[in-house]
This record gives sequence, C-alpha cells and structure tokens, in this order.
Amino acid sequence: MTTDRSLRIAVAFARAVTKSPAEGLCSACVELLVVSGAGVTVMGGTNSGPLCVSSQRMATLEDLQFTMGIGPCQDAFSIGRPVHVPRLDGSAVQRWPSFVDEAREAGIGAVFAYPLTTRGAKIGVLTLYQDGEGSLSSSQHDDSVAVARVLTETVLSLQDAAPAGVLAEGLENAMTYRAEVHQASGMVSIQLKIPVAEAMLRIRAHAFAQGLPIGVVAADIVARRLRLTDDSQ
Amino acid sequence: MSIDAEQRALHRQALTATTFVEIVDALVDDFDVIEVLTVLTARSVELLEAAAAGILLVDTDGQLRVIGASTEQVGLLELFQIQNDEGPCLDCFRTGTGVSHADLSTPSPWPQFAPESLRAGFPSVCAVPLRLKDLILGCLNLFMAEPVALSDAEIALAQALADVACIAIVQDMATRDAAIREGHLQHALNSRIVIEQAKGMIAERVGIDMEEAFARLRGFARSSNRGLTEVAEGIVAGSVAVDSITHGRRPPPPPQAARQQ
Repeated sequence: MTTDRSLRIAVAFARAVTKSPAEGLCSACVELLVVSGAGVTVMGGTNSGPLCVSSQRMATLEDLQFTMGIGPCQDAFSIGRPVHVPRLDGSAVQRWPSFVDEAREAGIGAVFAYPLTTRGAKIGVLTLYQDGEGSLSSSQHDDSVAVARVLTETVLSLQDAAPAGVLAEGLENAMTYRAEVHQASGMVSIQLKIPVAEAMLRIRAHAFAQGLPIGVVAADIVARRLRLTDDSQ
Repeated sequence: MSIDAEQRALHRQALTATTFVEIVDALVDDFDVIEVLTVLTARSVELLEAAAAGILLVDTDGQLRVIGASTEQVGLLELFQIQNDEGPCLDCFRTGTGVSHADLSTPSPWPQFAPESLRAGFPSVCAVPLRLKDLILGCLNLFMAEPVALSDAEIALAQALADVACIAIVQDMATRDAAIREGHLQHALNSRIVIEQAKGMIAERVGIDMEEAFARLRGFARSSNRGLTEVAEGIVAGSVAVDSITHGRRPPPPPQAARQQ
C-alpha cells in the first residue's frame, strides 16, 4: 500500500469515526471509493452480521443476501477473492437468481464484493453498490483492496482488545442487528422440535416466500404474532 | 583455476541457485516452516563445505531452542551452548551480527564451548543471525571439520540463506497469528449467536420474554458454575435439557465425560 493511499484512507476513517463509529465506516467507504453505497459484513462460518451499511437501501440488499444465503458477498467470502458484477445481466441472474431481481428493483446497476481477508484468515466482506452499470476504474479497485485491508485490521484489532469469547463493543451492532433472528430460531426449534440450524432455514424460507425482510419475520415470531407451522416451508 | 576447482565452482553456483529456488518455492501457499529450515541446514552444509549445521530459534518466552540440525551430534552441541549460556550462537543472537572463529584450539571467548566443539571434531565455527530489520529470530550455525575460516564470500552466502529462511519464519508467524485472531473473532461471534438461540428456546418453552429468559440462563450458568456460552451451547446442542433451566431448580453436576473435555 503506498503511503499516499494509506494516508487518504486513514484520514477518511478518522473523520468518520468522530461521527458515529460503525455507520461512519460505510460512509467513509462511499466517499473514498466514489460509489453509490457500501456495506460491511462480519462473517464467521455460516453466520454473518452487518457491521454497517451506508443507507437503508443497502441494508435491504445485504439482508437479502443473508436471507437467501447466496449473493456476491457470500461468493467473495467463500473464494477469498473480489467478485465483480459490473452488469446485472443474464449470467448474474443465473448465479444469484432472486438477488439480482431485487437489486435491479432497488435501482442497483453493479455490485462489487471484496473479502476482508488476511493471510488465509477470512472475517467478512466489503460490498460496494453502484447505481449505474460498468466496471470500477483500476484506481477504484486498488483503493477498494486497500480499504478492505484496513477494515480487516480494524475489525481484528477491535476484537483483540476484548476478553476471550466476548464480542468487542465496536462490533456489537453486527450481532444485535440479527439478535432477533437467532432468538426466533431458538423459538421455532422448540415449536417444531427441530435443530436450531434447521429452524433458521425455515425462517429464511418463510421470509423469502413471503417477500419479507428476515428481520420482520423474526420480530413477528419473537412477538408471538407469527408461528411457523410444520408445512410452512 | 584447475579443471577440478572450476568444476567445483560451477557445481556450487548451480547448487546455490537451486537452493534459493527450492526455498522460495516452498514459501508459496501452505508451507511447512520446519521443512524449509531442514532444507536450509542440509544445503548450507553442502554449499559451504561445512561438516554440519544447526539452527536455533527464539520462542515466545525469549528462550533459544534447537529447531534443526544436520546431525544429532550438532543438535547436542547447540543444546550445550544454550544450557551453559555460552558459545558463538548465543553471541551471534545477542549482538545480531555474524560471529566466527577459525581455530578453537587457540584462545576464544568460550572456555566451555571450545573444548566441547573440538572434542566433537569441529575446530572451526561460524554463526550468522536470522534477522529481519530489528527483529532477531535466532541464528544459523556452521561447524567445520578443519581449522580454517570461511571466506567473506562464503559468510555472505550463509547470511543470504539465513535471510531467506527468515522470510519463511516471519511469514509463518504472521499466518499463525492471523489464524488465532480469526479464531477469537469467530468464537466471540458464535458465542453471541448461541446465547440468543438459547434465549429463544427458553423463552418459548416457559412462555416468557427474552429478558427473563436471559436472566434464567445466567442464573443457571452461575449456580452450575459454568460459563454462559458453555451452557447456551449445551442447550442448543441438546446436551443440556431446556427443562432443567425452565424449572429453576438446581442443576445436576455435569457428567464426568463433559467435565473432562
């Protein structure tokens, strides 16, 4: 990373942090990388939580990828390399069918996902959204790689300072955002006498089938307004 | 140069190149640092016409340890230096600069090490540091069967080999470090998730809200002297019955097998 680039990133992040820690990170990404929107997701195994999103529109798209368990974000994470989708065309539809439909509906023209990775360790994804179609410029790409590196180190160093087994305070909202989804999974597992992981799949399937955000479905289950039945899948 | 000497020089050049390629090759992807260091000791013996070579590395407690040796005897000689806190390798490690002595039968700074090395058949020694900038990780020790000094060119070659090995070690350390940090984050994320899941299970079984469910979960963990995450994991995995928490009674002690884990 050139000093020039790291300095620009450090300044943008420092300014962002003085506002509101997590939210600031994503607006710093948008400003720095000149994109329409950004989301940073912390991931571990099959679990993930959004650390920040630049706007509600991006939150919906990040949620959608989580609900369906597929999307550029998941792919970038599992292969450990950036995934560029400069056009939401036929091949993108084939790869992530309903995600592309929803993204188009939200007015998105292109998606770029960068894994947060360091020396084989993978901890999350930075996803960039563009309203228009087209590739990132090579300097946008270089900047994105650099930002992903800074984000990786930021997340890891936040967690370094926390006691073992306790999530760092700065990363808390990555989990509180989906706390209800996990609570709902626990409830459904008792209701349907199935393992928690399967209960989570049922909730995802229900949200997808009803075209609802997973958070809304989870909130309904926790508030006991909704009870999934055995054949609701 | 005689034909014989010329042949040997050529052979050494080829072997030098091969050694560097061999070590750099090993650095790609998933390499085993011990294997790289074993190659390094074997090749430095061949290239520098030494009788034997050994590598010492500093561990996390700051103690030097014998990591590789081309012969058993050299391993013991390296240990001897550590145990007696004296010898060329220790001086090299402490100063971060190369140390050599062409004839140990003449006065040396190591009254205990010198006779031991001579007895083992190594009258000449040389040690070069494994260092990256200010970080000194250990040293490479060369033992010769004749009381002759290595030439400057030979010492420079030994140092170049040590430098490459150093990159391997530093890379390996960073990779391990990243894996450990990833593990911590993963553990913290999973712990949060599993607690939420257990809360949901208790809340549903008893018909209470999440706050109350969390209070019961914590109460159970405290009274059974177990961690919150551990109990939550037990509930989600089915090894701790949800009912044992819902009834608010004192839990039975964990089974022997579970305690041993």
